[in-house]
Order: sequence, then structure tokens, then C-alpha cells
Amino acid sequence: MTETSLEARREILSSIREHLAESKRFDTQDVHPPTTARRTTSKSVAGDRDKPVIELFRHALEAVSGHCSIVRTIDEAAQAVQEIVAERKASGPPATAGGSDSHSRRVAVSDSALVRAILGRVKTEAAFLDSPSQAELFDCDVGITCAQWAIAETGTLVLESERERNRLASLVPPVHVAIIEASRIRRSMSEVLELIKKSDVGLSRAVTFITGPSRTSDIELTLAIGVHGPGELHVIVIDEAAPPA
Amino acid sequence: MRDQARAIKDETLAHLDRYLEQFAGNAERAGARIHWARDGREVSNIIIELLHERNAKRVVKSKSMATEEIHLNDALEEAGIETVETDLGEWIIQLAHETPSHIVVPAIHKSKKQIADLFVEKIGIEPTDDVDKLTGAARRVLRQRFAEADAGISGVNFGVAETGTILILENEGNIRLTTSLPKIHFALMGIEKVIPRFADIDVFLKLLPRSGTGQQLTTYQSLITGQKKRPEDEGPEELHIILMDNGRSRMLAHPVTRQSLACIRCGACLNACPVYQQIGGHAYGSVYPGPIGAVITPQLIGISKATQLPYASSLCGACREVCPVKIDIPALLLHLRSEIVEGSASGSVDEQGPVKRKFSEHLAFRLYAFAWSRRRLYEWSARIARLFQRAAVRQGRIGKVSGLIAKLAPPLGAWTAGRDARPIAPRTFREQWRADSEIK
Repeated sequence: MTETSLEARREILSSIREHLAESKRFDTQDVHPPTTARRTTSKSVAGDRDKPVIELFRHALEAVSGHCSIVRTIDEAAQAVQEIVAERKASGPPATAGGSDSHSRRVAVSDSALVRAILGRVKTEAAFLDSPSQAELFDCDVGITCAQWAIAETGTLVLESERERNRLASLVPPVHVAIIEASRIRRSMSEVLELIKKSDVGLSRAVTFITGPSRTSDIELTLAIGVHGPGELHVIVIDEAAPPA
Repeated sequence: MRDQARAIKDETLAHLDRYLEQFAGNAERAGARIHWARDGREVSNIIIELLHERNAKRVVKSKSMATEEIHLNDALEEAGIETVETDLGEWIIQLAHETPSHIVVPAIHKSKKQIADLFVEKIGIEPTDDVDKLTGAARRVLRQRFAEADAGISGVNFGVAETGTILILENEGNIRLTTSLPKIHFALMGIEKVIPRFADIDVFLKLLPRSGTGQQLTTYQSLITGQKKRPEDEGPEELHIILMDNGRSRMLAHPVTRQSLACIRCGACLNACPVYQQIGGHAYGSVYPGPIGAVITPQLIGISKATQLPYASSLCGACREVCPVKIDIPALLLHLRSEIVEGSASGSVDEQGPVKRKFSEHLAFRLYAFAWSRRRLYEWSARIARLFQRAAVRQGRIGKVSGLIAKLAPPLGAWTAGRDARPIAPRTFREQWRADSEIK
């Protein structure tokens, strides 16, 4: 810290203390308390209480324009990934910058063991890049990562940077595929906050919450999907207990 | 929920010094560098010096009202640093050389057509009125800027004292790009943004999106705790958090003004305000518009420099009803008005000292209050005024009619610069009422 910054620190802290002390003599006075009389207790979504978390998660994710598939095995997950990558190929030119030459599909992948296990079973001519340079990343069509947790009530994925390299693959390509085991879906935000804080790898440098694809309403309040982040979000839930499709 | 959020904010503000020190200590332990800045100039100096030291010339920025507040972009430009706004709305107004008119949707004053014309002119796209195409064009151009950037500058929504974590909310993804692609990340945080515990995030994540954009949750939340530990990890090599006072600590001096620091910048009061809906964000002439702007601007820049803002409200109370942290904005407005009128005898929010009211004005208002609180005198005053205006009324208006507006002679001319002065009716309502009752 520079000398100026140290001096600023001293001055700001003492200004806070002085002004708080000055306020003491008013603190007992009536200060026009907010007049809203009715006080509602925080209530959770009552009907959702008994719904199984996986169903709740799928429902919430679809409500924010995310896609959700529930599979039973790693093989089925690989099948689902293969379909998403193939569909992407059929859906026209990639939306990435620079108009690179007509290449086969490039897929940025995280370094998670589960993602690797799944990719080992995917049959495609697409190229998988597990540590792309920044330039390569900008040219990728799909990014595949895991999610460490999910919040069922809001359809939110939670990514911890200490668990896998997932910050950029989940963000830069126009399509993000996230894989999550059913056992890692929790009902509420507060449960997940507790888990990431007490994580055995420590609180990650970057924890990212993702709820649906990137969006904006900055032009005439009209919703546009996929402005800076992915325009498509696919979540594949691996649930061994799921009924066969 | 709103009570809980407000209680957390009140608790934090009552011990702000302690929580700030705790936040700074934990963030530093996690590898972040903390800087303290008393005002906007110090913030700009810190950032510019660090950028120069690292020979960094290109900066991407995500939306931050704190950086708008201190006009950081102008300072960076002067220092020869190229700054690109990456929030779509902010980028649009940067291209148009304008300022935001709303704290959540900055380009809300521009139409699709205006934006399309701007894009045709500035980035050379084909004319279109398709919002998806316009958004796509912005994505392509801004991707290039992200790739080239040496540093990213963001704001902070909440800083968690318990862990030293900064939390930033968004929908577009530009904040995630700003805070993970460039090698250096600067986060500018007002000192009031601190919250005590990691678990408190839950409450504010439930409130801010619902009040701001009506979403259950914004698309992305980034929780950043320090910088990366290993070189092979993703993310910036340096994280600099700048804690900025810029007039905030003064507001702690009185429980009424202290409320202003509980604001989470959701914009709900702007959307609910009948005055904002009529006049728009630019009419306030301040960085923070709307009801919350009318209370924090005078406190930030000095009440004598913004004496009109606390009057830019009808005190209808819609802002208080919608505020997710229950800030009593009407009470704040009245408090500031009384400071303007009386001169701040106690708990001065304004270091420039009280605002002196002219003696003649004071006398006029006393007479007015005396006369109009007595029925006979009130009725007399109306009759006398009718007598006097006879000379001035032309075509049912007062003053010299020119164009749409009838002008009054100085010194009253200022009143009619943008509006008519309406004459007093030939018969008052009470006179009509009396006459009508007699007929029956």
C-alpha cells in the first residue's frame, strides 16, 4: 500500500468513527420509521416443498430458457453430448468472431475427470481442446464443463474454480453444456452457499452462479439471448435412479 | 425479507469501520490488493498509476455506477488509456457520447432506430431493426476489445467481510469476461457495499434481481475471493480492490441520512416514481437519477451544489413502498429540504456549510403563510390579484404572447422560460359554490 493509500485508510476510518459518534445523539430520536405497516414473513414456495429436487431444477431451468436432459449413465450422457454437438453443426455457421475457415466443430472442455470420461465415449469428428489459448477459445463452438452444485429453486448452476478449469469454457463459446450428478442438486441457495464456503478445497477464487443463457434487454427493453456469454445452455443431469427414457 | 435485508445493512453501517477492516484483511489474505481512496481523484490516480507501471493501455469496463460517479472514463482518456464500456447499454451510450439515463438500463432513452443508425455510422453494419442482429453486431465488436484488453475494471455489488469476497451480478456475461480474461482486474467498491457474513449473500441475491429487473435471479453472479494461486489457473494475475469514500462517511452522521448508504442500486424507485416517468433520467442533471439520486447526489457533491434535487419529488411515497431495503426516501427528502432552508445547524451533511436564504424570500414566505392560513385574508388576496392582473391578461394568458408561451417581464420572466403563467380565474371555486347554493 502506498503512503497516500495508508493515509486515506486512516482518514476514512476515522471519518466513519467520528460521524457514527456524532449520530449517537440522534439515535434514540424518532426518525420517521418506514410506514409500511404490513409485515410478511419470508415464505418459501409452498407447493414446491414436496417436489423432488431434480424435477424442481428442470422446471426452473426451463423457465429461464435453459435445456435440461436427465440421463442414467455416463454412456447416455455421452449420447446427449454427441447430439448437442451434432445439432450445432447443422445449425449453420458459428457465431464466433473473425469468420475463421470452415473447420470441423471445436469444443472447449474443462479438465474434470467426469467430462473426460464422457468425452471418451463420444463419437464425433469434432476437435476437443482441453486447454485452449485465448485465441482458440474465441473460435470454439461449444464449451463443456461440469457444475459442482445446482440450486433447484432457481435452476442455477454453481461452478467452483478450485474443482476444475471451468471459468472460460462455460462463458466464451456460444453453446455451454454443463454436466452434473443428481446428488449435487440442492433445493436452496442458502444450502449451496454453506457448501461452497466449507468446501474441502477451500472457498474457490472464483465461484460462478449461472442461471440460463446470457441475456440483455438494453435495447428498448426487448429480450435478446446470447449477448456476451452463451446463447444456449444445456444441462445434462446424471441420475442413476431415473426411469429409463 | 425486506426487514431482514435492512437489518443487515443497519448493523453493518453501525459498525462500518470494523466490517471494512475485516473485509480488507480477509481479501488481502486471499491475495487481493486493497487500496483506499478518499475521493474520485484518488481512485483515478491509483488506477492510472498502476496501469502506467504495467504499460497497460487498453481497458475494458463493465457497468459500474461508482465509476460513473467519479467520471473515471474522462480521467483515463486524459491519461491516454483507451477505455471500452462492455455492457450493451453503456457501450451504446459511449458510442453516442451520452450519459446513462437509468441506473439499470442506461440506454432506455434511445429507440431501436436510433441505436441502429448509431451502429451503421460507428461500426459499419447493414441497417436493420432486428434487436438480435444489433446485439450480435455488438457481441462481435466487443469480443475483439476483450481479446485486446490489458486490464478490466468492474464495480462491486457486495463485499463480504467474513471472507473478503466481492460479489458482482449481471445478465450479459460481460462482467465475467471483464473479470476473467485480462491480466489485471480493478474492482471499485463504495465503502457502504460491505455485508458481514457469507450467508447474507442469500438475502441480497433474493432481493436485488427481483427489485431491479423482476428476475428471480440474474443470469450470472461472480463471487471472487482474491486472485489465482497457481500460474496454470484461470483468471487475472492481479486483483486490486479500491475502497472509495467520496462523501459516504459523512452520511453516517445522522440516522436519516445514514439510510442512503443502505441502497443496493436496484433502480426500483426510478421505475415507480411518477416524476422520473415524466421527466426521464437526464433531467436530474446528476449521475444518479430518480428518487434515490435526488437524495444521494446532494449528499455526495454538497447540498449547496444541488439545492433543487430534493424538491424534484411530489413526496407521493411510491419509492418508499417499492424499496427492497425500506429506505424512507420522502423522509430523507424532507430532511435535506429542511437543511437547505434552515441551514444545517446540526449534523451537517455539507462541509460547505449552511445555505443562506435571502431575507426578502423569507419575509415573502412568512407573509404568504400568514395571509393564506386566514380565510378572510385569503379571499381578499384573490380579489386584489384579480384586480392587478386585469392589466396583464391577454387572450386568457398573462404576459406578452410570443409563440406557444406567454412571457412575463423580468424579474418574473424566469418563471415563464418554459411554461405559461395562468391567470387567476374570474370567480374562485368558493365563490361559485356559494352562488350555486343560493340558486338552490
